[in-house]
Amino acid sequence: MPTDKKTIEFEIVTPERVVLKEEVLQATIPTQSGEITILPDHIPLVSILNPGVIELKKPSGENEIISVSGGFVEILKNKIIILADTAELAIELDEQRIEEARKRAEEMKKSKDIDDVQFAEISGQIEKQLARSKAAKRWRNLKNIK
Amino acid sequence: MAKTKEISRRIKSVSNTKKITKAMEMVSASKMRKAVEAVLKTRTYANLSWEMVLRLAKIVEGNNEVGHPLLTRKKEMKKAALILISSNRGLCGGFNTAVINRAKESLKKHNLETDIILVGKKGSVMAQQKYNIAAEFPKSDLVLSESETNPIARMVITDYLSGKYDKVTLVYTDFINGAKQIPRVKQLLPINIKFQDQHLGITEKEEKEKKHLLPGEFIYEYTFEPSPIEVLDLVVPRLIEIQLYQALLESNASEHSARMAAMHQATESASDMVNELTLFYNKARQSNITAEIAEISAGANAQQN
Repeated sequence: MPTDKKTIEFEIVTPERVVLKEEVLQATIPTQSGEITILPDHIPLVSILNPGVIELKKPSGENEIISVSGGFVEILKNKIIILADTAELAIELDEQRIEEARKRAEEMKKSKDIDDVQFAEISGQIEKQLARSKAAKRWRNLKNIK
Repeated sequence: MAKTKEISRRIKSVSNTKKITKAMEMVSASKMRKAVEAVLKTRTYANLSWEMVLRLAKIVEGNNEVGHPLLTRKKEMKKAALILISSNRGLCGGFNTAVINRAKESLKKHNLETDIILVGKKGSVMAQQKYNIAAEFPKSDLVLSESETNPIARMVITDYLSGKYDKVTLVYTDFINGAKQIPRVKQLLPINIKFQDQHLGITEKEEKEKKHLLPGEFIYEYTFEPSPIEVLDLVVPRLIEIQLYQALLESNASEHSARMAAMHQATESASDMVNELTLFYNKARQSNITAEIAEISAGANAQQN
């Protein structure tokens, strides 16, 4: 579908792979100071990513949902670069398994014999799993409406 | 008779060894493929985070703010740390010797009191040679995620900031291609932003795409959330983690390809040996038969007379 609307180059990478590289109309990103939506011609910005859900609007009218677990976001002239610690497309997510992983992490948090580093790691895990399950749910809602 | 038996036993043992080396070669080949793939996948992230640090550092400099401690060179160099990445297992040709020699060379050149941090079991020969070992980290054969290198990164960053070390270098084996691996020394801390890291996997093509990094075109007015320093505080340690991770992946890819080459050679020389032994075996068998025939005909002759 050809549009004369402006698009933004969107790229999300993790240390393990390039998750997605595409042209989008707008992107909603969870940052440390709140959720922001980037439209074309946004001013350059650098910010810290929070665990959460990224939502993209594609020129084709479809939406894309990605769960991230922290990292950085850099906005250049009509270009968004996201350096995420981990990132997954909502399509790849399996809700049931996420729920299980989250429960396991929470159980681990309750057990007493863990040190500070482990505690921080487990808390990070829980946040990541929460972000993933949020992404999966939103993806499902999106599909139900259509 | 005794001679042929002995030779055939040797042929058997050599061909068994050949089977093993052949299998090891194949295992290394598949491991190498995976390792190389992993290296390539990390490169984008490494490049992008490097660019980001570069831009941030420039902005911080431009504002005349105090430079980030991980980016500024210390005035006095008293003690250094050296991270040495070696393999866990042997049978990989000159892989470990090369990387250890490179490390020793660099130690001799800088002549600074240096603690050594080992990654991989084979580096422990350094301990027997009166080098000072600060820590030894285990290494798994297939590195799957970054969490393997993060403890090392955390340790060197803390020690650097606390003033225990004034410089941290990294010695690893760079994977050029299947036949060529070069041991390399790289300064990890402080990060030298004036000097673009050529070995983080930047190719010429990508270099051209990075026009927006050139000084003249650097006109962007940036907004930072929350502030440049806070962002730098988070992104710089990440860059160090990622460099370490990348080095580990490169070393792994090199190790597997070195082992593959070594095993290939071993297989070939085993084949040569089997051929040679078979020749000896045939000769021995032939002479046995000749001797037997001579005996029989001698006996027959004696009876006729």
